[in-house]
Amino acid sequence: MTDGAGQDVPTDAHDGIAVRGLHRSFGAVHALAGVDLDARPGRVTALIGPNGSGKTTLLLVLAGLLVPDAGHVRVGGFDPGTDGARARARTGWMPDAFGTWDSLTAREVLLTFAAAYRLPRAGAEARVAELLKTVHLSELADRPASVLSRGQKQRLGLARALVHSPDVLLLDEPASGLDPRSRVDLRVLLRSLAARGTTVLVSSHVLSELDELVDDAVFLSGGRTVTAGTLVAAESARRSWRVRALSLATLTGWLTSVGAVWHPDADDIPAPTGFGPPRPVPDRPGGVLVDIADEEGAARLVRDAVTAGVALTSIAPAGGALEQAYLALDEERR
Amino acid sequence: MSTVIDEGAVPTGASGAPTPTTLPRTWTLTWHGVRTVAELELRQRVRSTRWIVALVVWFVVVGAITGLVWLSTRSLLTGAAGDTANRLLRGPMVFGLVVFFVLFLGLLVAPTLSATSINGDRAAGTLAILQVTLLSPFEIVLGKLLASWAAALAFLVVSVPFIAIALGAGGTPVLAMFVCLGVLALLLAAVCAIGLGFSALVARTSGSAVLTYIVVASLSALSPIVFGLTYLTTTHNETVRVWTIPGGAWNGDTAPDCVWENAVGPVTHTERTWWLLGINPFVIVADAAPQPDARNPRITGDPLGSIRTGVRTLRAGPATTVDECWSGQSIQGSHYVSPVAERNVDTSAVWPWGLAANLLLGAAGVWVAVRRLRIPQRTLARGTRVA
Repeated sequence: MTDGAGQDVPTDAHDGIAVRGLHRSFGAVHALAGVDLDARPGRVTALIGPNGSGKTTLLLVLAGLLVPDAGHVRVGGFDPGTDGARARARTGWMPDAFGTWDSLTAREVLLTFAAAYRLPRAGAEARVAELLKTVHLSELADRPASVLSRGQKQRLGLARALVHSPDVLLLDEPASGLDPRSRVDLRVLLRSLAARGTTVLVSSHVLSELDELVDDAVFLSGGRTVTAGTLVAAESARRSWRVRALSLATLTGWLTSVGAVWHPDADDIPAPTGFGPPRPVPDRPGGVLVDIADEEGAARLVRDAVTAGVALTSIAPAGGALEQAYLALDEERR
Repeated sequence: MSTVIDEGAVPTGASGAPTPTTLPRTWTLTWHGVRTVAELELRQRVRSTRWIVALVVWFVVVGAITGLVWLSTRSLLTGAAGDTANRLLRGPMVFGLVVFFVLFLGLLVAPTLSATSINGDRAAGTLAILQVTLLSPFEIVLGKLLASWAAALAFLVVSVPFIAIALGAGGTPVLAMFVCLGVLALLLAAVCAIGLGFSALVARTSGSAVLTYIVVASLSALSPIVFGLTYLTTTHNETVRVWTIPGGAWNGDTAPDCVWENAVGPVTHTERTWWLLGINPFVIVADAAPQPDARNPRITGDPLGSIRTGVRTLRAGPATTVDECWSGQSIQGSHYVSPVAERNVDTSAVWPWGLAANLLLGAAGVWVAVRRLRIPQRTLARGTRVA
């Protein structure tokens, strides 16, 4: 990966999204202060970062709405700054906050955007009907958008971003407002688009959803992409596992005896160390969080616990890998 | 780039979206693009019930004013000489007042139709998603202008019955109605375009509406006031050649032997300030309306005609020679021959200049709006988000 602003086209050029040394300030605020990013065709890339880390600004640059102060950007093989129309013709963008035309029906909104992308009228009708079916809005297609719920509007926004069959899809918080069923649908849709070769970049806070969706992850903090080294370190850091057993008292007793670091998983369980006399651990099914280095460590814990006669019922990572990595980021929130 | 595509009936995914043959630039203009935006705007606007209410209120107000003008001019002119003269007096007055009232209301309504168009969309989050499409900024602006103008024209159409009724009062050529409607329509287009420019320039919708109203008020109310204030500053004491009675002494019986004298007196050079009136929408409409009756040019009850004669005379400026031999004129009657040349006031139309000035302001509004809608943007207005 090359670094620094104004460099030539990277040697590993691809038709997805390539960003090198991107800078963008708003007055004294450095919204983007050195972003390097690669989102490749056929893969779903997550854009993860705390509030104010520059995710939306980055997506605005990629969508061709903002001129970067410095840096090199390619979207779908074109520079959105100098070759805007060509890049935009290949880009579908769904902003985090967008409005709808209340008096228009969902079908009219999509037909308008098909016309705005200069799709032939004949094909547009069929394309719109197909998209409405894809986002499960066929029944509401001819009702005004004002009757749509927030999640339905979100799905309409997604269909709108897809109307011209873009090669590159930029989604800003697409899962917000969606019910669990719609989230699963969104995941299936994005995976199938990626399978057809689309480059998908998703920014989201719903990290558990991203876990099952994304191939790659880019972490953004303070306007910078966190370096690959930090990411590896974050991923290899000790993780919390949720361990459950038939008897909580037996489990905690055994964990303490073998010197494992564990934390209570619920309010009614006392911490192993603390102030005041320790309350008795209830002798009933329950779970605790245990710090385990890696999967091998988890396997060893299962083997040792079973050998020691602890009746384990389950052991699983607490929170997704992305969430763990996210929380491990040592950057301050803005 | 693309991998295997499972093709449905329509191209999907990374099949390489069919690249349009014409990629838009800032000033690209296609009817397809303009119509797409205008349809979107009009659909959104027409389906709200407020719209119908506004048209009904307009219809009632214009109707009420027409009725009032009709009744008041009848009582005012009752008892005047013969029926024909009465008709000639009353018809143009009713027509002129109704047209002016429609223009007045139109200038009030037109800014609301366009002055929140762009910053309102930005606040609602519907502008950026339109900007990233393959519509050019020029197409978006012209589409919005077309939609707001069409809405303004709807108000004008609702007024047509009353203008026709005013025409029925007599004395006004039918052509006057079409000319007035045409000039009204163009003036409203200019106001819509000015509003559009401000809505692109100012972040808040209230701000752009106020600025548009200030421009409209400057054109229609402030310009005559400024003209009046500059009247004194353009007045100077100058020497004028006067055909007058020598020494001002006249015995009162016989025709005096008038002579040329040089007199010093105040002269107002309105030829330097007439354009302040020329850009006024009301003056433009009045000047454009055809003469009510060519055979009877001295109809005093015609507000449009009075303004027309007035502004054209003011444009000509002061006369260089003046005939003050009134007593000779009154005694000798038609035998009196004045040596002062008949003043040949330039009667060419004022309205094309005024209309052009208004349309130029509108064009400036469109230009500003297009410049502000170009993407990618370099600067952002304070406190605004792009999307």
